[in-house]
Amino acid sequence: MNFLEVLHVVGLLLLWTAVAMLPPAALGCLEGLAFGWIIAVGSTALAGFLLWLVTPKQISINRREGIAVVGVGWIAVTLLGSLPFLATGTAPTVASAIFESVSGFTTTGATVFPNIEALPMSILLWRSISHWLGGMGIIVLGVAVLPLIGMGGSQLFRAEVPGIASDRLKPRIATTARLLWGVYGLLTAILFVIYLVLGMTVFEAVNHAMSALATGGFSTRTASLGAFSPAIQWVTIVFMLIAGTNFTLHYAMLSGRWGAWFSDAEWRWYAGVAVAVSVTVFLALGLSDWGWVFRDATFNVIAIMTTTGFATADFGQWPPICLVLLLSLMFVGAMGGSTGGGFKVARAVVVTKHAAGEVQKVLHPAGVFVTKLGRNPIRSDVLLNTLAFLALYVVTHGVGTLLIAAFGYDLVTATSAALAAMSSIGPGLGAVGPAEHYGHMGTMPHLVLSGLMLLGRLEFYTLLVLLIPGTWDKWGGHL
Amino acid sequence: MRVIVAGAGEVGYHVAARLSREGQDVVVVDVKPERLEYVQTHLDVAVVEGSGASISVLEKAGIRGAGLLIAVTNVDEANLVSCMSVRGVKDLMRVARVSNPDFYSDGAHLNPEVFGVDVMINPERELALETVRLLKATAATDVATFAGGAVQLVGVRVTDDAPIAGKTLAEIGSEQGGEAMLTVALMRGGETIVPSGATEILGGDLVYFVVTGKRMPQGLEFCGYRQTSVRRVMIAGGSLEAYYLAGFLNQHGAQTIMLVKQRERAQELAERLDHALVLNGDATDVELIEMEGVAGVDGFVALTDHDEKNILAAVLAQHAGAKQVVTLVNKTDYVPLATRIGLDAVVSPRLSAANAILRYARRGTVTSVATFKDSDAEAISFHVASTSPLVGRRLADIDFPDGAIVAAIVRTAVSDPIVPRGADKLAAGDTIIVFALPDSVIPLTDMFPS
Repeated sequence: MNFLEVLHVVGLLLLWTAVAMLPPAALGCLEGLAFGWIIAVGSTALAGFLLWLVTPKQISINRREGIAVVGVGWIAVTLLGSLPFLATGTAPTVASAIFESVSGFTTTGATVFPNIEALPMSILLWRSISHWLGGMGIIVLGVAVLPLIGMGGSQLFRAEVPGIASDRLKPRIATTARLLWGVYGLLTAILFVIYLVLGMTVFEAVNHAMSALATGGFSTRTASLGAFSPAIQWVTIVFMLIAGTNFTLHYAMLSGRWGAWFSDAEWRWYAGVAVAVSVTVFLALGLSDWGWVFRDATFNVIAIMTTTGFATADFGQWPPICLVLLLSLMFVGAMGGSTGGGFKVARAVVVTKHAAGEVQKVLHPAGVFVTKLGRNPIRSDVLLNTLAFLALYVVTHGVGTLLIAAFGYDLVTATSAALAAMSSIGPGLGAVGPAEHYGHMGTMPHLVLSGLMLLGRLEFYTLLVLLIPGTWDKWGGHL
Repeated sequence: MRVIVAGAGEVGYHVAARLSREGQDVVVVDVKPERLEYVQTHLDVAVVEGSGASISVLEKAGIRGAGLLIAVTNVDEANLVSCMSVRGVKDLMRVARVSNPDFYSDGAHLNPEVFGVDVMINPERELALETVRLLKATAATDVATFAGGAVQLVGVRVTDDAPIAGKTLAEIGSEQGGEAMLTVALMRGGETIVPSGATEILGGDLVYFVVTGKRMPQGLEFCGYRQTSVRRVMIAGGSLEAYYLAGFLNQHGAQTIMLVKQRERAQELAERLDHALVLNGDATDVELIEMEGVAGVDGFVALTDHDEKNILAAVLAQHAGAKQVVTLVNKTDYVPLATRIGLDAVVSPRLSAANAILRYARRGTVTSVATFKDSDAEAISFHVASTSPLVGRRLADIDFPDGAIVAAIVRTAVSDPIVPRGADKLAAGDTIIVFALPDSVIPLTDMFPS
């Protein structure tokens, strides 16, 4: 692996991050936080510039470098993205600043701050921007606008975009990346305007629009979307669903193929599960002390399934059946190719269908059973990869739960915190429920959860491969 | 009429043989000299060596002045190119064999006009359709449809204890009080008999009768069978025929089990067929087919690429208790053997293709042609045009050629086919079904000019 070339691209990404810090920095200057913001922007820009300067200009990114760029790039960007929280003195500890930054870029939306309204506006804006950049992917953005990494862009793209198969919209990967970001930007702008019309301030509308389309979850209010009108909540439900949908389907819709959503098998499952669970939760709440609160039931179910993590109610207090359903949705997550996280609907469907086929196989040992998603048969290597992904998910979740529990947290808190981090949701249950925050945790739990968030966002393989020593050898450790 | 047959494979050979026997001028084109050698020693046809897709080869075969081009090589694309390259030739009907299901799939249906093809035939699909008809008519050996499916010609072997066994046709007619079952021919000991009222039906006879669709169960009952519905079918083999059949059975709501020996083919079929249970195994693996419930299936269809395997698998299935067994037999010589060991329902791509092609090889108002496994005889249906001089004439007064017998008259005003008697008069718009021996085919078609 040519590590210097990897660092060169990482340097470019950091410069890009510094540029993204400029709008909140400008806002910070007005708030009297000029010193902190100058340090944050300056250090990020300097680190990026130095890396860019000392490394060779000629770069040739192939598969191995591409994966390393994504892994190292994400770690570098999230680390330096924590500087605004530290330099302005908002975050109490280094680990909590890193946690907040990772939570932002991975679109998790878990926060260490108990009182959001007390935060400076510049910090609130930076949290939303980190969501928005991380949602469609900083690397995909890089592929879209940086001609330098156009060559190996396809590798980078595949390493960052979640899901079973990331399909290209156009023959050239850079065009595809540009179209995806274009659709993403357009949808964000539309939501921004709708929010304005429905009575949000410009600042709130910008923040929530970016947070919603990225399936993030950071809000400008401690009460999250619960602080806004029912109309705003309904609009948010719709846009969370849109953000959790494969963006190539949006592109197809925008180019005139109106049936694109419905003709996609994964989308039908996604929408079907969302509706079925919403109705079940609604009924369960109606039959309990909570009463018939359809909007709350739907909003929080969709917020969890799309892995956004907004909240309008303290669903931690809901009846047990609702909690189990929400935990299941935390695992399943949104669609591949969306800005949402989780195991992904398509993977869940494929694994379940495959399991059903294996049961049939007991009855018909000679039977040939093909697992299909819609009309498309799933190739056996893709199937094996998906099963391995399931194993990674389960094992990582187990280890994560164990580590959180080791710091004295109860089972519900530990298991939901680990899952909420891996699936990039944000609020969990118990001590990290929607009415709570992650500020009471210590340095180690913060770092563990940060690691889980990155693993989940980059779907394990990209980060885990960095742990294999061979990755760093010139010849990949095998000759 | 000069007919050019491009491709001397099973289908091409059989079509050439039939047309030649009728007295047509047939030229066979193929790239393989040894195949042409075989054709020339067995048939009275001319041969031209070369690719049927080449215009110069077709010119050499006399495409100018020919009335019919039948492109039936094993390669769909070559057949299409053959037709395409002679688009400009006047008064030429172009028939192409196109078997690949991808050319017929939703949204990708080939437009025959683009290729200058007048008729696309798909022998594998025809065979699958015929198999479905056989499965639905329990115990039938042949099922041919006429008048758009309204009338069926069914061949059934009469059981020894059948209600009609040991009776003459006159007795059967008076007993059943009508023409529920119109017997047009019967085969006994390899001989085709055109029955009269005094003909006695014996157990073991293969009778051919004409019925409307809804009278089929009654007809089968007279011959000693009860029609059962087709709910579970086991198919041996992963051939193209098997693929089409599984699709049709699914449309009929029947559960399908397929036995496919090659692992890759089994995988491919499992991917393409949503509702069939595909098993990777051999059709002659007795333990496997018993475990998968061959004893309870309504139909067992042997469609592998090997006649021997098909016959063996069919016999095994029949012994295990499968109700209707249909066997694909390619080699003509095996057909009598299959019949002798009790496999009456035999299908072959050759015959299916011939049935589809022959009606286009006829001038006149032929609407369809059916051929029978054990015999040279054909059942041909003609449309009686209003301008025909035959309209209004009594059948007894019409001079039909020797070896041709009017089997039934289908009249839109009458729901059942009419038993033809000498005094019956033909009306405009009738469809008449004629049982004909090869020599009589051409004079017969001349009587019904288009």
